[in-house]
Amino acid sequence: MSVTQTIEPSPPLLRSAVRAVGWCGLGLIAVTVFLSDFLARAPAGAADSTMMLTPPSDAHPFGTDLLGRDMLSETLHGLARTGVHALFGAAVAIVCGGLFGSIAARLPRPLALGLRGVLGVLAAVPALLLMILLTGLTARGYAPLAAGLAVAPLAFIRAFDRVDVNSPHAEYARATGIPATTLLRRDLTHEFRAMMASVAARALAAVTIILSTASFLGFGAEPPARDLGLMIAVAKATYLAAWWTAAFPAGALVLVVLCARLAAGLEEGERP
Amino acid sequence: MRSFLVRQIVSLVVGVLGAVLIAAVISAIGEPRAPGVWPFLVAAGSRLVHFLEGDFGQSAITGTSALHVLGHRLPPTLTLLAEGAALAVAVGLPLGLLFSLGAARRATAPLMQIITATPVFCAGLALAWGAVNLLHWPVSVNMPVGAAVSPDEALQIDALPIVTVGLAGAAAVQLALRRAASQAGGESFRAGLKSLGLGGFEIERVFVVPQVLAGLAASAGEIMLALLSATVVTEWVFHRSGAADLFVKSVALADWNIVAIILFVFAGLTFVAEFIGRIAGRALASEGRP
Repeated sequence: MSVTQTIEPSPPLLRSAVRAVGWCGLGLIAVTVFLSDFLARAPAGAADSTMMLTPPSDAHPFGTDLLGRDMLSETLHGLARTGVHALFGAAVAIVCGGLFGSIAARLPRPLALGLRGVLGVLAAVPALLLMILLTGLTARGYAPLAAGLAVAPLAFIRAFDRVDVNSPHAEYARATGIPATTLLRRDLTHEFRAMMASVAARALAAVTIILSTASFLGFGAEPPARDLGLMIAVAKATYLAAWWTAAFPAGALVLVVLCARLAAGLEEGERP
Repeated sequence: MRSFLVRQIVSLVVGVLGAVLIAAVISAIGEPRAPGVWPFLVAAGSRLVHFLEGDFGQSAITGTSALHVLGHRLPPTLTLLAEGAALAVAVGLPLGLLFSLGAARRATAPLMQIITATPVFCAGLALAWGAVNLLHWPVSVNMPVGAAVSPDEALQIDALPIVTVGLAGAAAVQLALRRAASQAGGESFRAGLKSLGLGGFEIERVFVVPQVLAGLAASAGEIMLALLSATVVTEWVFHRSGAADLFVKSVALADWNIVAIILFVFAGLTFVAEFIGRIAGRALASEGRP
């Protein structure tokens, strides 16, 4: 069997089905986030010192943490916070990365290549470090914005490199005197209509990973408000003996990223 | 080949200069100056000149030279990075091929998707939990830095960070391999060579494998980024005192000279990996071209 025959892409029908599963998963997560205050058994941060580190039971299906907080309620609140912040960050990444890259590629060549060079330097730094730097320069309240901006250079490069400024239809449009702004508007509308869903899901997966990792390192959510990354960071002290304190927030986080990855149609091994 | 080499060298130099510029801007944040944009630009220009002279300033916390601090903290990070990279290639290449076989791919696809959807810090914590509760190994997750351990325990403690970085790198290697193989699969030379009477195995060995390895080498920058990100998180999770751990603490303590030099080194590593990878990729691709 040959190397290239061995590594064959998935059939288109399977890819569509997998994407549909991803979007359904994201839809269910969105509903859960929307109803999180209603579904949670306790308000965020409600502690009970008589119920410290109790394992999962009927009363507390996800157990309790070191302060006696119900992990099911805390996970739902953390998921809501992570989801809302990641959505905002993904929107920033799409506008400042994808949209800006598509426009920049169509600017006069020297300017376009100059911009690509600058963003290329930023893309050579791990997005996580950029986000930590941006959050350190501002405040933890700006973490979702910082996550979006940190992911933007890679999104910019991808969008920039995807544009073919010498495509036949662009040549034809120029030859027939169609204004550059009309061509740009038409191209952007076409590209975003074709790829918006995939780009949005990819950005959501990337921002969720960056945001939660930064929170884990202490550069995300500000206590007492906690997202999933911060919940896992707090659980680090106890999880070796009380696995449930980290397992459920981590499971929720993996589920969000997994659904976003599937919705984006990412290959196994591909980082968003 | 010469013009390609010149282009790559220019690209490397421009990239590194860009990284120096960004580092100078970051370093200028910590400089005492009057408020406003112009004084900041003047401070950034001054820092840039100092950087080009090899003066990276001093740590705002310890007062020692930033280069000295980096010289102390970078080797453990580079060691972890190199060990992780070796594991990534050793595991990523064979597993990438094995998991791509028709039946094996279908069976392992959901597992692979879950693994690659797992943030590195979750993977590191999960590995540590497994090591403690299943293998009864000591782990450094909740251990103070510099705690006394026996040589055997030290080996076990060192293994987990390497495995964590290696797995993150293996995912990147596997992806690069898959992408390169799918590109090589679309090449038109295969039918032509068959009609010339060459056997399938020979075509694969002499022409296709170099093309696939060339594609893998060309993705070296991407693989380096994955390894660097994983190293940052792993050092934090496993309490390793390296440059990546220092970066996180320096941002928290607003020690901008240290932040600037670490960022510069990391960006430089990515550019160098990209440079070497592209040249190696080009050499391999021309070797495998019929």
